[in-house]
Amino acid sequence: MIDVKELLRELREEPYEKISIRAPHSGKVEFVAKEPGVRVVGPSGTWKEVPGTLLARLERENVKKPLHAPQKGEVMSLGEIANGQFAQAGQELMTIRHYLTREEVISRILRRSLSLFLAPEKGKYYFFPDVDIKIKTKGSQSVHIEDGMELFILSRMKREASIRYSGPSGIIYAVYFDTNDSVERNSPLIGVCPEDQLGQIQEVVSRVQSDWEERD
Amino acid sequence: MKNPSESKKHKVLIANRGEIAIRIMQACRKLGLAFVALFTEPDKHSEHCVLARKLGGDESLFRVSSYLDANEIFAVADQAGATAIHPGYGFFAEDYRFARRVAQRERKLIFIGPSWQVIRELGDKINTKRLARKLGVPTVPGSDKPVTDDLEAENIAKSLFEFQKELGVGNPVILVKASAGGGGMGIEEVPDLDKFRSVLRRIKSYSKRQFRDEGVLIEQRIFDFNHLEVQILSDRTGQNPVHFGTRNCSVQSPGHQKRIEVAPGFDPSSLRYAFDAKKVIEDITEYSLRMAREAGYDSVGTWEWIVSPTGQPFLMEVNTRIQVENGVSARIAAIKGKGDVDLIAEQIRVGLGAPMGYTQKDITLNGVGIEYRIIAEDTDNKFAPWVGRITSFGWPEQDWLKMHSQVPTDREYEIPTDFDPNLALAIIWGKDLAQAKERGVEFLNSLTLQGVNASGEAMKSNVEFLKRKTEGILAF
Amino acid sequence: MDIEKRIQELRDRLKYILDIFGPDENTNVIMLEAKLGEYVAREPGLPKQEAIRQLETLEELFRFLEKKLERELTPMNKVRIVRHPQRICLKDILENVYDNYTEIGGQDDYSIDPSMLIARAYITRRQGKKVHNQAVMVIGQEKGHGQEFRNGGSVKPWGNAKALHYMKVAETENIPIHTYIFTPGSYPIEDYPGAAQQIAKNLYEMGGLKVPIVAVISEGGSGGAEAIGLADTRIMMSHGYYSVISPEGAAAIEGRLRGGQRAEPRLIEHCAKQLKMTADDNRAMGFVDWKINEPELGARPEHYDFFRKLRKSVISSTDEIVLNVRGMRLFRSLALRRHKGADVYVRWSLDSRAKERLLWARYMKFRRMAQDAYLDKRHWFSRSSEWTGEFFSSLYSYFRYDLFGKQHKKVAELAEDMHAEIQVVVGRSSRYCKNVMSKLFFGKDKKDVDQAGLTSLSAWDEGGQNSGKWQYVSPQAKADRAVICPNTSVHGCLDQWAPDLFGEWAGVCSFCGHHFPMEYQWYLHNIFDPGSIYEVFTEIESTNPLKFEGFDLKLDEAKRKTGHKCGCMTFEARIEGTSVMVAMFMGAFRGGSVGAAEGEKFIRAMERARKKQLPFLSYVHGTAGIRIQEGVNGVIQMPRCTMAVRRYTEAGGLYLVLYDTNSYAGPVASFLGCSPYQFSVRSANIGFAGPGVIKETTGMDIPPNYHNAYQALSRGHIQGIWDRREVRGNLFQSLQTMGGRNLYYR
Repeated sequence: MIDVKELLRELREEPYEKISIRAPHSGKVEFVAKEPGVRVVGPSGTWKEVPGTLLARLERENVKKPLHAPQKGEVMSLGEIANGQFAQAGQELMTIRHYLTREEVISRILRRSLSLFLAPEKGKYYFFPDVDIKIKTKGSQSVHIEDGMELFILSRMKREASIRYSGPSGIIYAVYFDTNDSVERNSPLIGVCPEDQLGQIQEVVSRVQSDWEERD
Repeated sequence: MKNPSESKKHKVLIANRGEIAIRIMQACRKLGLAFVALFTEPDKHSEHCVLARKLGGDESLFRVSSYLDANEIFAVADQAGATAIHPGYGFFAEDYRFARRVAQRERKLIFIGPSWQVIRELGDKINTKRLARKLGVPTVPGSDKPVTDDLEAENIAKSLFEFQKELGVGNPVILVKASAGGGGMGIEEVPDLDKFRSVLRRIKSYSKRQFRDEGVLIEQRIFDFNHLEVQILSDRTGQNPVHFGTRNCSVQSPGHQKRIEVAPGFDPSSLRYAFDAKKVIEDITEYSLRMAREAGYDSVGTWEWIVSPTGQPFLMEVNTRIQVENGVSARIAAIKGKGDVDLIAEQIRVGLGAPMGYTQKDITLNGVGIEYRIIAEDTDNKFAPWVGRITSFGWPEQDWLKMHSQVPTDREYEIPTDFDPNLALAIIWGKDLAQAKERGVEFLNSLTLQGVNASGEAMKSNVEFLKRKTEGILAF
Repeated sequence: MDIEKRIQELRDRLKYILDIFGPDENTNVIMLEAKLGEYVAREPGLPKQEAIRQLETLEELFRFLEKKLERELTPMNKVRIVRHPQRICLKDILENVYDNYTEIGGQDDYSIDPSMLIARAYITRRQGKKVHNQAVMVIGQEKGHGQEFRNGGSVKPWGNAKALHYMKVAETENIPIHTYIFTPGSYPIEDYPGAAQQIAKNLYEMGGLKVPIVAVISEGGSGGAEAIGLADTRIMMSHGYYSVISPEGAAAIEGRLRGGQRAEPRLIEHCAKQLKMTADDNRAMGFVDWKINEPELGARPEHYDFFRKLRKSVISSTDEIVLNVRGMRLFRSLALRRHKGADVYVRWSLDSRAKERLLWARYMKFRRMAQDAYLDKRHWFSRSSEWTGEFFSSLYSYFRYDLFGKQHKKVAELAEDMHAEIQVVVGRSSRYCKNVMSKLFFGKDKKDVDQAGLTSLSAWDEGGQNSGKWQYVSPQAKADRAVICPNTSVHGCLDQWAPDLFGEWAGVCSFCGHHFPMEYQWYLHNIFDPGSIYEVFTEIESTNPLKFEGFDLKLDEAKRKTGHKCGCMTFEARIEGTSVMVAMFMGAFRGGSVGAAEGEKFIRAMERARKKQLPFLSYVHGTAGIRIQEGVNGVIQMPRCTMAVRRYTEAGGLYLVLYDTNSYAGPVASFLGCSPYQFSVRSANIGFAGPGVIKETTGMDIPPNYHNAYQALSRGHIQGIWDRREVRGNLFQSLQTMGGRNLYYR
């Protein structure tokens, strides 16, 4: 049984997420959001086609790459780099404090409530082709999986290996990785929900929908 | 030898990682040059980072988003005030566009490698083959231009079968390749003429899809060959190339990845060959130099050859870069009687514009060198890479042994998964083949290499495979 | 009671006047408002007689001032009149102009598109004792007095398709078509068959419809109007408007407004004037044949006199069309002309020769339009010598390809057939022969092994391969900078160096294949054989026919910047030796917009291609649509050019269209969209209206890739998407495999 109330209480105590904005590549930084406290918004529009608030520009090889806020929030602090300095790839430029949205609260609680299948090794993961097609057309929750079923293709060092699922059988309730990203060992790949617990999970979702108020 | 740093203070950006980055750093030190090195997040614990900090301090090491993003390299080069770029091998080493950008951007740099025109000319297999044929250098029988016409293709295929029959090849096979392809993609073998048409159609449509080009190459498939290469070096004049002998790289993994390289390429003094091995070595060396002169070759480079069981050499391709195995040729060479040649240092020296300073007469070759590539891989299971943590790594020092590795010996090391799983190169020298082989086995036996993976299983490496293969080295 | 009713009537009239004059400060309107207000306040206290007397005075004042106001109507007032819910609509016309009708494919909102109404109608005419029921196909937009589901007469693509379908039915039944144009413009969505593409089809087909077409224009909004407006006689209601764009739209463009900003009423009013959109303007410029006068302040359903007038007009127009193309044109057409409106019975069906004459007359009617809207500065002598030149080249190509060519071809075909026959007979025995032969001369076989050929240098002409070496290198390739691919977040493309990207890679991202826009010069030099471009009709020059304020300056600026006299360059060139006639629309010249000069050049190029039997390529580097500052002079290029395409294609030519960057609106909805072979470079966006306009008119949010080439291909609008680097090869292939028989190389 999931204690939603307790989980929600915990989250209410720390309802923020700290988002670190790092230089995606090397280059000279030109800050647009120049001080802490600046409010920013994430991408918007029906198709998320409008980028979020412009935070900074990163100039490299005579082209300035705009860096936009990925989420709504407030600039908490600026990194240890001055305006106009050369940033190395991955260097922290600023942090944004983001108040959790309903979806994020739901996904956090689900991560604790679902049965997670963890990446056995570091590498890039893909779903098996037939599963992949089903997910793409009907969504992940249409896929029922069982212990021992071949579910993933692990790609590393230009070689591929198949990975079998182990854990309770059920539907894939959530997918936690992107096919092009390298997944660290032991980070969750999918969250599985046994069919008979589906009702409970949905209850959690509706509970959060009504109980969690979104803030800026 | 004249030190280039005397005329102008150069700073070399090392656009590579791992052991080659280390060797370039060391070569720079030897030449008294400043350098700047790069690393990416997964490589942060690599020995090349440690050494860069040790030799050049924090300001000589930059984190970049990717070794494959040219913009990162130039951004760092400008920021660090580099004057030259050494590409190592892989990545940008044979990318003529990169070399061109180095030379043509507003803040010009020196590309330590051949001029971009040379890379472009010799990087194109068809061009290389045609240059070879123009100069009377033997190439694999078959077409030397992209064939698009079906009838023409069929005629070539037919002639190739008949040609091989005449040569007495028992089961002649020909290869059909997408002329724009490479890396083993778009190649198929055809064992008889009846199957040719369907293969041709398949390759053509593949090539059209992949490369927007219908041309195919049709060549003889040569079996049971030995893989030899000639090490060439020339200064920026491009007019006086020298060679550092040959190497034999016939011990390979099933995926045609080299595992053992031996210099020289054959050893007629201790082994019997079905052909005049000495002449073959002389021939391929002379052919390679002839082409280098014609192309105006102006850096280090390797001419790759295949030698058939009957002793016929065919030019495969030219590698316009420093190769992994350059050290094994350097190991047996001496310039003006002075050993311990460093080909990478030579490459940097002439790359920055210094004249060669010696001729072929000044180069002597002595003894036999063996290079082992030590790799974490499962040799019983299709040489699948092994992923995990190395817990101990070490070997007894020997004066006949040189190790190149980015794997630290004083701490544990997680093998990064984003790159080829090379762990170390071991170069062994012996006064003759027998001694070299003996020392090789001795080294492999004394090597400590242990590790463990996520599931707690012990490390798998190719050390046993290397040991097994040592016995048959250079035999053909 | 009676007074109440009459007051209410005056209230309604005042309301209508207020609607029409809207924001204008008009003293007459203010007076009416005041007088009516006073009367209403006073009336309860008045004795009945006095009340009626005063009411009559007031009514008289209304009549008087309405007349006065009528004379003061501005173009914008007329726009409000035709948009007013009380404006007569097609249903009213069907009820009052025709004697009987049946609506086809619609009953109120039960219709595939209630804004397009089709009806089979009758006009009953008496000739002595005989009664003739003359059938007509009536097609038009229905605004339905503001009924929501009619969408204001803004027709969806399938509504226009329905219209076309029934025009073809009328053709089959050999009955005339009456179209009534009540549209602010087409509904700008791309769903199949697509706003632009369907209008193009309509225009193309109407150019060849072998029945008389009469069009009556009340609200002629640009492309939507053209969809049913290509007619033999075009009548315009006196209070209507016929324009390239709504005044609001023009104001938004003139005022450079973006994202739903509203234009100033003053600017809108100003644009309405500038666009010369009234019946008188259009009559004067020759875009409509005549004007039909409406009652004061516009026709409303209760104006029965007007319907009678309209009935006479459409009947006599139809009669005239028919008589003009009939063999016996003299008597009755003379009679008709003399006694305007005399009801002389004319049968409306045509025989096949009359049909041909009808089409020719229709073509020539449009061909002659907008001739004063461009400049042709040449001396008359060179103009006529061009004519003779073309005459001779057409004569040459007739002799060279038709007369001798066809003979030669026949002989060749015969020879081919013979050869094939022989093959069948000989083939069987030849294998046997070969065996015998090879046995007889067996030493010869060995020489087949061409050892030298397999190991020595072969001859190879590298000319065919470009391998990244282009004839023309974009100036974008000269900057030392990296370029960010817009697909980086999706495909992880790295930044590419401009000299590589715009040089060797021809502006194609080497990671994801995204096509960056390139200059039209790139295509000129890399598609056509070097040095093969021969420009024609260079003397035709864009001008400012409506004297649109400030446009002369903009036009001069465009001419100076591009070095071209208009946005269309017409030339002959070769692709691997095959000559082709090309019309290129340049995005750099006023957004590639099409006006009278561009249209004229296009038509002349079409005519030249037809005479010289050349294939024709429209290369659209970019076009934003019809040039609004030329008003109807621009819009009329839609039917004009489309008819030229039709004439060319019918003669057996090959008409290819290649879209490159952004191609929108009128041109796509006419002479581009009507091609059966429309291809697109990957960089193209193709559609009817841009995202901003769609949002404005439909309220729908448009996905960012709504107009991209792949969407256009999925919707069936275009026939293929080409990689920029393959355009030359693909064009050559198309020239070889597509098109009709009237090409010089066939």
